[in-house]
Amino acid sequence: MIEVTKLSKFYGDFQAVRELSFGVAKGEVVGFLGPNGAGKSTTLRIIAGFLGATSGDVRVAGHSVVDEPLLARESIGYMPETSPLYTEMRVVEYLSFRAELKGVGRGARKASVARALRDAGLEDRERSVIAQLSKGYRQRVGLADALVANPPLLLLDEPTAGLDPNQIREVRALIQRLSADHTILVSTHILSEVEAMCTRGLVIAQGKLVAEGTIDELRDLRRSRAVRIRVRGDVKNQLGKVRRIEGVAGVEPGDRDRGIVITFSSPEEGDRVTEAVVAALVAQGLGVLEVAPVVPSLEQVFSDLTSKSVEPDASRAEANA
Amino acid sequence: MRGLYPIFKRELFSFFVTPLAWVLMTSFLLFQGAHFFVILMHYANSGELSVDGGPVQGFFGGTILLYLPLLLMCPLLTMRTFAEERKSGTIEALLTAPVTPAGVVLGKYLATLAVYVITWIPTGLYLVALSRFGEVDVRIVATSYAAILLVGAGYISIGTMTSALTTNQLTAAVVASVALLFLFLLALGEFVFDPGILRDVCSHVSVWSMMSDFSRGLVDSRRLVFYTSLVVLPLFITVRTVESWRWG
Repeated sequence: MIEVTKLSKFYGDFQAVRELSFGVAKGEVVGFLGPNGAGKSTTLRIIAGFLGATSGDVRVAGHSVVDEPLLARESIGYMPETSPLYTEMRVVEYLSFRAELKGVGRGARKASVARALRDAGLEDRERSVIAQLSKGYRQRVGLADALVANPPLLLLDEPTAGLDPNQIREVRALIQRLSADHTILVSTHILSEVEAMCTRGLVIAQGKLVAEGTIDELRDLRRSRAVRIRVRGDVKNQLGKVRRIEGVAGVEPGDRDRGIVITFSSPEEGDRVTEAVVAALVAQGLGVLEVAPVVPSLEQVFSDLTSKSVEPDASRAEANA
Repeated sequence: MRGLYPIFKRELFSFFVTPLAWVLMTSFLLFQGAHFFVILMHYANSGELSVDGGPVQGFFGGTILLYLPLLLMCPLLTMRTFAEERKSGTIEALLTAPVTPAGVVLGKYLATLAVYVITWIPTGLYLVALSRFGEVDVRIVATSYAAILLVGAGYISIGTMTSALTTNQLTAAVVASVALLFLFLLALGEFVFDPGILRDVCSHVSVWSMMSDFSRGLVDSRRLVFYTSLVVLPLFITVRTVESWRWG
């Protein structure tokens, strides 16, 4: 459905996208993941035909976005990040205009608008003037706009940004519902969002693809590399013993309570090591009160991935210094 | 040209649900009403009428009061066209729909031109009123309105272009006004330069002598050519500008 080949984009001297290549197959729901400023929006704008690439090739449904822009755009329902809307129009007027603009015939227009209103949960607001809608509802109007011509491909740029938790849950549920008969590329900077909605994830950082994989593979990126254990009793004497357990890379006292933080030598060993450590502590007569994985923050994951694959020289230089 | 008609309809809609068009139309019609009143009083008091010197000619070609407000009104009508869409970001939704840049530009241009035409329609009532007391030459009225349409078409084309060249509405309006004022003042060259090519150019550009010609039923094809290029050239630049945003 989407083929991106060696896509690069410069804004003046700044390179926002670097030789990015990926594909999205029909029926997939792909999460486009990366920290702010990674180049997600730029990439989506290029696919949607709003921006031109500096170099590289983008094809949508087999059509080049440069040579056959209208055919490519006809298969796309694009929801920009900020949901820019004509605020003086009523919701139903706006969607009707958008449907006509996207080539929905006069006869089918009413039904198309009604379906988009229903799918986006806007039926009770169809007569509202857009200027008077809350941020959450405007976001839905943007989503309804993407859906109105019933395109096979949806490009959603941070559809949950700025929404409250209830609205976020609704949008996620909607995307899951839509995934039945749409191919979807959705960008976000929240990893758990990709886990909740997508079949596959692409991670980009500094304009480069740094990881790509199924949800399980992405989950591995976040697998804990340490565990925090809180015990009843004096744990200080046991540190040496714990340190000798195979697979333990380090033991440190926890910050606030009497707990200890155990770092694994490899994340895959995590479960086995945790079990062994707990067994050893219990065998020494200490009560284990709490065992909690220490999950790396997403920033940590991104920066690990980034330093690994984008500029290996720079990160090595930092390590030496 | 895809997208022309829906964009035309939406732009027209947007003009009439926002106060700008109403304010402009009301002020313009008040001004022209006063203008027509002054012309009528003048002819009513002077008592002598020549064949091509009646109040109709006086209104359409006798004074600059007819088109002076256009130097301000046309830029105010066009200033939002692209500048507002770019500032608010709606241009992104517009240009990612399956539309061509030419369709977008022409849809917006024709909608503004339609508002311009609608603004002038009530002035037809002056002529209806006149015709109750004397004979109004329909042909002269037709050429006069044709001239008004040509001038407006050119001015709105320039305004549409300046709106695409900046994201600030006010800048767009000011730049367009200055450009129109420059064209207007160029006409003074007709009275400044000695006979020759410079004076010819100035007289052909002059909206002043154009209105005075057309209001006497004289249609000069050189003026048609000039105003047609005044429509086509800025619109062409606008289409290219819209295309260039992709590469910004």
